[in-house]
Amino acid sequence: MKQRHKEVRLLFRFLLFLLLLTLTGCWSSREIEDLGLVVGTALDLEKDKSREEALERNEKSYPDKAIMTITNQLVTSQTTGAGKKEGGSQQKAFKNVSESGDAIIPILRDMILRIDKRAFAQHSKVIVIGEDLARTLNLQQILDFFLREQEIRPSSIILIAKNRASKTLESKEPTVIPALHLIQISKGQERTTKILPPMPLAKLNGKLHSESSFLLQNVSMKNGEVKFAGASLIDGKAKKLRGFLNEKDLEGITWVTGKGKGGLVKSSDEKTGQPIIYEIESMKSKIRPHVDGNNISFEINISSEGRIAENWVVSGKLSENEFLKRAEKVSKKEVGRLVKNVLDKTQQEYKADVLGFGDQLRIEYPKVWEKVKEDWDHTFSKIPIKYTIKLTIKDYGTSVSNK
Amino acid sequence: MKGNEGAMIVNPKDRITTSQAAVILVNYILAAGILTLPRTSVEKVKTPDVWITIILGGLIAIMAGIIIVKLSQQYPKKTFYQYSQELMGKWVGGLLCLLIVGYFFTLSAFEVRTLSEVTGFFLLEGTPSWAIIMPFMWIGLYLIISGINSMARLFLIIFPITVVIFLLVVFMSSGIFELDNLRPVLGLGIKPMLAGLKATGLMFLGPEIMLLLVAFMQQPDKAVKVIIVGISIPMIFYVITVVMVIGALSVDGVVTRTWPTIDLMRSFEIPGLLFERFESLLLVIWIMQIFATFTITYYAAALGFAQLFKRNIQPFMYGLIPIIYIIAMTPKSINDLFKLGDMIGNVALIIFGVMPLLLLIVSKLKEGKHETET
Amino acid sequence: MKMRRKNIKIRQLKMHSKQSEKTQRFKPPQDLMGHFTGEFTVDLERVRQEIGHNSDVHFREFHIGSKDIRAAIIFVDGLSDKELIDKHIMKSLMINYSEEYKQDPSILNQTVLKETIKNQVLSISELAEVHDVYDLVSKVLTGSTALFVAGVPEVLILGTTKGKSRNIEEPVSEALVRGPRVGFTETLSDNTALLRQHGDNRSLSIIQFHVGLRAKKKLVIAYMNEIVNQDLVEEVKHRIKNINIDDLPESGYVEQLIEDNFLSPFPQVQNTERPDRVIGALMEGRVAILLDGTPFALIVPVTFSMLLQSPEDYYERWLPGSLIRLLRYFTVFISLFAPSLYIAFISFHPGMIPTKLAMSIIGAREGVPFPALIEALIMEISIEILREAGLRLPKPIGPAMGIVGGLIIGEAAVQAGIISPVMVIIVSLTAISSFAIPQYSAGITIRILRFAAMFCAAMLGLYGIILFFLLLCSHLVKLKSFGVPFISPAAPYRVSDWKDFMIRMPLMMMRRRPKLMQTKDSIRKG
Repeated sequence: MKQRHKEVRLLFRFLLFLLLLTLTGCWSSREIEDLGLVVGTALDLEKDKSREEALERNEKSYPDKAIMTITNQLVTSQTTGAGKKEGGSQQKAFKNVSESGDAIIPILRDMILRIDKRAFAQHSKVIVIGEDLARTLNLQQILDFFLREQEIRPSSIILIAKNRASKTLESKEPTVIPALHLIQISKGQERTTKILPPMPLAKLNGKLHSESSFLLQNVSMKNGEVKFAGASLIDGKAKKLRGFLNEKDLEGITWVTGKGKGGLVKSSDEKTGQPIIYEIESMKSKIRPHVDGNNISFEINISSEGRIAENWVVSGKLSENEFLKRAEKVSKKEVGRLVKNVLDKTQQEYKADVLGFGDQLRIEYPKVWEKVKEDWDHTFSKIPIKYTIKLTIKDYGTSVSNK
Repeated sequence: MKGNEGAMIVNPKDRITTSQAAVILVNYILAAGILTLPRTSVEKVKTPDVWITIILGGLIAIMAGIIIVKLSQQYPKKTFYQYSQELMGKWVGGLLCLLIVGYFFTLSAFEVRTLSEVTGFFLLEGTPSWAIIMPFMWIGLYLIISGINSMARLFLIIFPITVVIFLLVVFMSSGIFELDNLRPVLGLGIKPMLAGLKATGLMFLGPEIMLLLVAFMQQPDKAVKVIIVGISIPMIFYVITVVMVIGALSVDGVVTRTWPTIDLMRSFEIPGLLFERFESLLLVIWIMQIFATFTITYYAAALGFAQLFKRNIQPFMYGLIPIIYIIAMTPKSINDLFKLGDMIGNVALIIFGVMPLLLLIVSKLKEGKHETET
Repeated sequence: MKMRRKNIKIRQLKMHSKQSEKTQRFKPPQDLMGHFTGEFTVDLERVRQEIGHNSDVHFREFHIGSKDIRAAIIFVDGLSDKELIDKHIMKSLMINYSEEYKQDPSILNQTVLKETIKNQVLSISELAEVHDVYDLVSKVLTGSTALFVAGVPEVLILGTTKGKSRNIEEPVSEALVRGPRVGFTETLSDNTALLRQHGDNRSLSIIQFHVGLRAKKKLVIAYMNEIVNQDLVEEVKHRIKNINIDDLPESGYVEQLIEDNFLSPFPQVQNTERPDRVIGALMEGRVAILLDGTPFALIVPVTFSMLLQSPEDYYERWLPGSLIRLLRYFTVFISLFAPSLYIAFISFHPGMIPTKLAMSIIGAREGVPFPALIEALIMEISIEILREAGLRLPKPIGPAMGIVGGLIIGEAAVQAGIISPVMVIIVSLTAISSFAIPQYSAGITIRILRFAAMFCAAMLGLYGIILFFLLLCSHLVKLKSFGVPFISPAAPYRVSDWKDFMIRMPLMMMRRRPKLMQTKDSIRKG
């Protein structure tokens, strides 16, 4: 019984302590309806001189530092007040708040002066960086806050915006939340070769740290609507935006890296000039480095299986192997063109390896990699690359011919 | 329960089975280190071959563990605290005991403080550390008062939960896993791997508990099996962790993150699947594992005091709470905390790496002497 | 505060037991004053002094045969079977006796007289002798009839107790879909009969005790002699013998006085109204305790998994049985943690829930004045009040009240903006989940713990829930029920017992009894 009494007393002491705790209150609790969920963030370079001067007077403490404008997209209880407000105009499902300054978190904290809700960023899905900002400032420095802060998840996706990033967070339709809209579009990577696989912050961190060049998906506004158009090339050393690749280039990139999950190849029939569309069901690409003394060369083996999705050649009878072979040949040529196009662009024009050749060299010949990795982008531009493409058309849908 | 001699304090009814001993060992080894393991090991090794280093570290730990077990098997039914004085004489033995007890409660404090840091950072921003630490310690006290059998049973409950959730959560990250991040294997040879051996070896800090556990086992001759199983399981955990973390974040990404394992969980979202984000699950099992490690070291320290000074264990249990708390609050910054961890590791290497071997040799010599005498 | 109240209770119990110790001696030991002298009128008068003042105690004097041997019977109206008295006692003694024994002169000897009456005249199945007033009183007051014969110093006690029992019907609290519609009644002999009726089982042993110092009641323990662990039986007997209390109105008292840990929220003794549950338990090597006057039998020892089992799991096939059992474990989890998880996620970790869900919850909670904890408390306490009220309402109104309470009040509260719809869903889910637990006492435990979990969540969020879980497990690992660890077979691992733990393996595969009972005979089948 003595043991029991001791236990009882211990229990009561513990209970007393707990009672004390309830008196002092809960420190970390924030009711969910008091929060404004940040679902997307846009960062822009502020060129407006008047704003610069205003800030200079009050806040600017770092000379020669560029001014940034951050736009946070919030979802609050007012914007989601479902069923409470009947009639009246359809109100927007989100709220954008902008603020300017020279370092990220002071800007964000300044927003507190303007919003009644506590901004909560754990649901943040996308960070859009404006073209100008990416050209001017080091990406790693810009993103330092986002990588350090615990609230922003490393699963957020980074996009580069042509022109102003804050515009991509606006939408004409009130019920659509632009940030979520962007995420949905990025999922389209499964069905087209014109978009890159989404780049979460976690992986971006690794890429930045490795000093190799890489690509980030572009977003642009056309007629008030967002469109994923091409990619930006980020220099590995300077970590700034260097140039753009368009959608055609992206197609080539998808083929070279073999990361495509679906998409089309549009080619025209040699005889009739009519389009034949090949739909990709699966694609594979193997980059093989060859080292011969001091000479490095690469070989790409691309293969794919798919079907004919659309055929404008009236005379073409798909059940005949001869026509099928024609289609294959023509599609293959198109893919070859895409690949050559992007290889030229990255090697000659931009002199940057964004296709993963360096990685493959590192894997196959690590000792050679150690020697050349310092100046890899430069070396890469001089390396001969060969490629072979194999296309197999497995079927052609439910229609054999057009006749 | 008032025991007047050392042998009486180990309650003869308080025995654990072989599997219970193994589970205690596993839960003890899996602790704070798993969150920082990818970073600390890759920092030294610099290649993705860290997983091989881990396996090597595990094997070394098994060897050290076997030495400790063999030493303890020389003195059946006696814990290290009880036979150290027999072996090394009153003063040296007592000093060793105090050293080990100090190690245990410092480790306790380290674990608790790490818990407070991580929980306060990821789960409860704004809550003062004492509010996080104190209830934790009190529940630990409640558990260890009933002895090692209850502790073993609790660990048996926690263990399968940990395994299931861990595997579930880690393999959900296979969406962002890239095998290329782990290649090439042994690209730069063996040397970089060996550089990381110390860091990974220290991850397996835990077999020293066998200095005490063998005395409680129902079948002490199976203790070697306990070591092998008890270290292999954490080794598998560590390998899986490191492989998945590096596969997702790449070597370059890993070294920049403070808590890479948690970051792995936060790097992906699976829309539509109940939670979408799964770091909460990882934190749940991690907190339970820290609890296990904390209670074991706490108990080991209290037992040490009790058997050294030949008194009842309960006052020491209560008395250790303020001591552990003060030590836990000592490091002023997270860097200091990591330094404390390093220091504990270094001390452990000496005490549990080198010393048991010496003691085993001495013990065998003594035995030899006895045989020649009689 | 709480501490003082509990201390007072402990002191009261202690005083109570001390008093009982004293009053246990209120019966003077072998007091010669109570002893019967053999003198007819003196003895009768002595008895009249003791219990004559009661209006339901009847004294009937008569003559045996025509030899003018004076006799008297004493019985209690209502407790004794009058038919038995009239036909078998009075008739045998008054009428039949004279015809057969008139002539025999040796009858005049007292001993011979008594023996003749005992062995040849009275056609009564239960017969005993008493020598003093107190034994007589105790027997008569339980329904036996006392027979005084002039000249015979011993008084014969004839068993004429007529038990009044109600019909055997299915217990209300433990209705099953499939299974015998039989439940225990308040009469002990009926209940033991039900156990015996289960089948010709010579291993079934039923041992009787008397408990209660002022209101002596019959208590019976039942076990399978060839199966059970004798240590367990001894422990049960020991604890029952140590019960020191005036009166035991219900088996709940027995439960509280023999359990291992009275501070624990978990019941360590199982109670049931169903004989098939009891037989099943006995076959596993457990011991049952039945108390006269209540249909609730006790079964010891009990483990956590047993509290979540229902006989239906065995009557149905293994696949539905296993799945339903898994479902039950899941409902326990929900019932315990759902409100606290809600509070933790809404108030502390909104980042852990899916974005779309977070957005809709934010919208739903717009305008709700209370923080999540208060909201949850309001709803939970309201449900508990409704539940208690529902128990007391007369049958026709009960179910209607439940619907009124649940739907309308909940709906009205949401409309008024006091609570959010999500909360209503969660609370109703937990309420229904707690009904899925087959053992009522376990259900109560879960309800209590749910509130504790809610407070922990309100203070420290998810971390609080984890700490609560660890505390709960730490408590459970310590808890023992009659020497058996409460959370077997979860820990320590007895994998062979897992065949009947969360799932139910096919009968063909369950050949052995649970190891944790350490039974003598471990094979179920022949």
